[in-house]
Amino acid sequence: MSRDKSLVVDGVRQFFGPKNSRVQALSRTDLVIEPGQFVCLAGPSGCGKTTLLRLIAGFINPSEGQITVSGSEIIGPGPDRGVVFQSPTLYPWMDVASNVELGLKFQGVSKDQRRADSERYLQMVGLTDFAHRRTYELSGGMQQRCQIARVLASDPEFILMDEPFGALDALTRERLQNELLDIWRKTGKTILFITHSVDEAVFLGSRVLVMSPRPGKIVFDEPAIFSKPGESIAAEEIRSLPAFLELRERVRSSIQHSH
Amino acid sequence: MVIPLDGLEYHPSGGPEDRHGGPAVVSKSAPLWVRVRKNHWTTRLIALAAFLVVWWILTTPWAWNGDKPIMLPLYLPSIPSVWNAFIRANTIHPIAEGVDREVVGEYGYYLWQHLLATLQRIGIGLFFAIVIGLPLGLLMASVKIISVSVEPYINFLRSLPPLGYIGLLIVWFGIDNTSKIWLLFLAAFPPITIATIAGVSGIKEDQIHAAQSLGASRLQVVSSVTVPAIAPDLITGIRVALGFAWTTVVAAELNNGIPGIGGLAYLSGTELKTPLTITCIIVIGITAIVLDSIIKAMERVLTPWRGKA
Ligand SMILES: Nc1ncnc2c1ncn2[C@@H]1O[C@H](COP(=O)(O)OP(=O)(O)OP(=O)(O)O)[C@@H](O)[C@H]1O
Ligand SMILES: [Mg+2]
Repeated sequence: MSRDKSLVVDGVRQFFGPKNSRVQALSRTDLVIEPGQFVCLAGPSGCGKTTLLRLIAGFINPSEGQITVSGSEIIGPGPDRGVVFQSPTLYPWMDVASNVELGLKFQGVSKDQRRADSERYLQMVGLTDFAHRRTYELSGGMQQRCQIARVLASDPEFILMDEPFGALDALTRERLQNELLDIWRKTGKTILFITHSVDEAVFLGSRVLVMSPRPGKIVFDEPAIFSKPGESIAAEEIRSLPAFLELRERVRSSIQHSH
Repeated sequence: MVIPLDGLEYHPSGGPEDRHGGPAVVSKSAPLWVRVRKNHWTTRLIALAAFLVVWWILTTPWAWNGDKPIMLPLYLPSIPSVWNAFIRANTIHPIAEGVDREVVGEYGYYLWQHLLATLQRIGIGLFFAIVIGLPLGLLMASVKIISVSVEPYINFLRSLPPLGYIGLLIVWFGIDNTSKIWLLFLAAFPPITIATIAGVSGIKEDQIHAAQSLGASRLQVVSSVTVPAIAPDLITGIRVALGFAWTTVVAAELNNGIPGIGGLAYLSGTELKTPLTITCIIVIGITAIVLDSIIKAMERVLTPWRGKA
């Protein structure tokens, strides 16, 4: 295991609010995410999942401890860590395609290349026909897909996703799950994926974390062996494996007991 | 109609749904009372007609009143005399009846030249107000020291009636255009700066975060997120500033205001040319409404996402 390119959460605690009435959102958390891992994080609402993601994204600084990538401390957001927000965060003054191309534009990629990339990712998330609409003309789930396309197009090393498929119908969700797995298998990107669906966590993740609430604490951390880079098994096949069902059951009970 | 309060939209007739003068789907054959209820333009036309009728009644000679109008022409001139004043102001005409010498419009300028002179002052004043007020607002919103130190002065300036310091500006910049443009600038930039600050503080944090996570530099955050995000507030600020500047410029032209529509209104009043004064007032009011409609249209075209995202 090489630690050089790992993401290390080292003794991080997070408080919110004024000194006298502060709320602890995260209790002391230590976590190492190895390059290429697909980490799924589940846990009851309000337990601190988004807080952990925002700390890693660099949107907030930890009250205590530090987070490092390849040994250097995270002091703010950066293009190495792409974020899919829990509530879609798009720019209404741009059309859908321009939103998707934005990361490439910031990187100085040529217009033609940008167009080609955005077309590819819009096709992937099924928004080709909406490329030139304004973002507020999209449904919630479509906005979510647009966000996903935007992050994938900007090609970050870490992809941080906060319930990205929460607003999607079962069919679209399944399709995008497979697309994401495909990308992960091909590129070996490191992914942190927050979800409320235990099934999704166990199906997608190469590692499953469960957090307990008040204050947030990682209480379950196990590898999931069902999807591996470089190897693809049919979804139905995975879901019928006894080991899959067993792990899913243990994750579920761990979430129940964490309440 | 100018906007009376910062940020509050003023809808001359009814709620915000009345953006295009009411729904246009009322059939022409519908009874009048239905049209009045459904279509604001019908209502407006009827109100205008009623207004003109009252004016006509008040200014027409009546036999029972000793062949005199109810209101003397000096106080309220008749509709035809106002119309004549309007025509006179737009044509070359004899200086007086039966005199050969001909003059241009009023005080050497056509009415539209007076109006144009005033609009030019507004345009220049507003231009500088935006050029200075917008960056100042951005600066105040992002640098604490600047906002803390400059804000009291902006509030101070904002609380002064511009006419209170026109005298000072005349001393500093002379009685001609410069002092008037300064006055307009000083009147118009605080609303723009304040709207900019409000706009910046209304930006959703995550919109900035998203751009930073996509690799935006500081400058790219400003150009791709901050500026477009504040555009709706900025346009509202410009609208407020324009309304404010318009009422101010008309008053500012009390001193040496020819050419200028405000100067013309004032001068004609002092010379008891009441029909011309009323012509000017009508022109001033209609221009204000037109200017405001232009900005409202720009708002719709430039910031279509307003209120939707
Ligand atoms: N900016 C903030 N200010 C104050 N408290 C906050 C802030 N952000 C989060 N919290 C608190 O921290 C705790 C964890 O919130 P967080 O958003 O991380 O939960 P979550 O696990 O993502 O929940 P959900 O599944 O509902 O999205 C909550 O109690 C919340 O009230
Ligand atoms: Mg959350």
